[in-house]
Amino acid sequence: MASAAIILGANERTGNPMLPLILAVFAKGDGDLLERLQRRDPQALGELYDRYGRMTFALIFRMVRDRGIAEDLTQETFLRIWNRIGGFDCERGAVGPWLLAVARNRAIDYLRYQGKRAEATVQLNETEHPGLFAGLPGDPLTLDAARQVQRALAELTAQQREAIELAYFEGLSQTEIAEKMGQPLGTVKTWIRRALQQMRGTLGGAIA
Amino acid sequence: MTCDELRPDYLLYALGTLEDPERTELRDHLARGCDNCTAGLREARAWAYAMGSAAEAPEPSKALRNRIVAAAGGAPEKRSNWWAVLMAAAATAAAAAALIFVQAQNFRGEREQLQAAIERNRTDAAGLREMLALIESPETKEVSFGQGKPAPPKGRVFVHPTGVLLIANNLPAPPQGKAYEMWIIPAGGKGKPVPAGVFTSSTQGEAVHLFRPATPATATDVVAVTLENAAGVDAPTSTPIIVAPLQ
Repeated sequence: MASAAIILGANERTGNPMLPLILAVFAKGDGDLLERLQRRDPQALGELYDRYGRMTFALIFRMVRDRGIAEDLTQETFLRIWNRIGGFDCERGAVGPWLLAVARNRAIDYLRYQGKRAEATVQLNETEHPGLFAGLPGDPLTLDAARQVQRALAELTAQQREAIELAYFEGLSQTEIAEKMGQPLGTVKTWIRRALQQMRGTLGGAIA
Repeated sequence: MTCDELRPDYLLYALGTLEDPERTELRDHLARGCDNCTAGLREARAWAYAMGSAAEAPEPSKALRNRIVAAAGGAPEKRSNWWAVLMAAAATAAAAAALIFVQAQNFRGEREQLQAAIERNRTDAAGLREMLALIESPETKEVSFGQGKPAPPKGRVFVHPTGVLLIANNLPAPPQGKAYEMWIIPAGGKGKPVPAGVFTSSTQGEAVHLFRPATPATATDVVAVTLENAAGVDAPTSTPIIVAPLQ
């Protein structure tokens, strides 16, 4: 008798940083789930959390560095998705990128409030409108793609990487980054532009 | 500004951190329906997704899921957490592959051994994709077991013409020298049990086991699991720990 037993008993929690990503990579076929969300099925929200919850929590935790606050903001993120799912294009949209955009914005809002930062020039609402994700491929992310981006980031100079990370994880504008790094605005702009040009050269069209 | 000049700004725009004058320039391009900038921004959003998706963090509390569902007006989860078991198994295999990949970069002298390990884990990842495909197939029938019992194991069996997948939790790790063996028992459990592979469970009591039968399982079969010698036996020697009638 042909047997192709695959045994995966060992299941230690490694704390590997790729874990949240891996969970999402293995989550396929969001279309039916999104349609159930649009029909207001709360259990579908739970299933969406099963697929993307860890990744969402991980990003927020990376930004706010507080478990309790990260959980509150994760909840807020999923409820925002729940309340706005009606405007999402289930056929053409990619819910993972949308979720992370919403999550990042919730964390930036929190950081801004905590740091008593002014509204500044950052336009968060412009980055999470569901319509923006309608043009993305349904499943744009693979482990390889994510690794390539991480590798491209690792190849940047320390200053370039810090500037990009301040933009991504703290939502700072270039002016704010320049202030934080104690560098002229022109220098920071040059770092960021060169960093992104280098990443584009490294990645080519590998992502998206 | 030209599209080429704006290209390095796509990511910052996608992140909402681009300032004037570049922001206004890019908005103008988009308002004109510029194909280059539209495509560039799409790529930038995928970059942003990849950047944010590999963040390192501890696991959130198990209560968070129920909090979210309850806030949306739903009841707390009551089903056995089979999906989480499979996801955790998937994560273990793929995380191991990722870890070994990093090790291979650092220890080139042991390249051959590590390469072999990578191949093994790739096989596991491929197997996990097979399992997900089986679960999602419209031909797959799903049966729960252990429901309503005070001390489970609980879980689900997914039966497809090409495979039988068992996902269980609350299944204690077997003693030294022992393993769990799955059986497919024809005729409503009255026929001769057909061995369907041995497997173990984790220290957390979770197990995932896929068996590819030579002939498809039928609706009258019963899937059972017994504790046997680690090498497996031809016929069950102990009382089944799991019984899942497919009917």
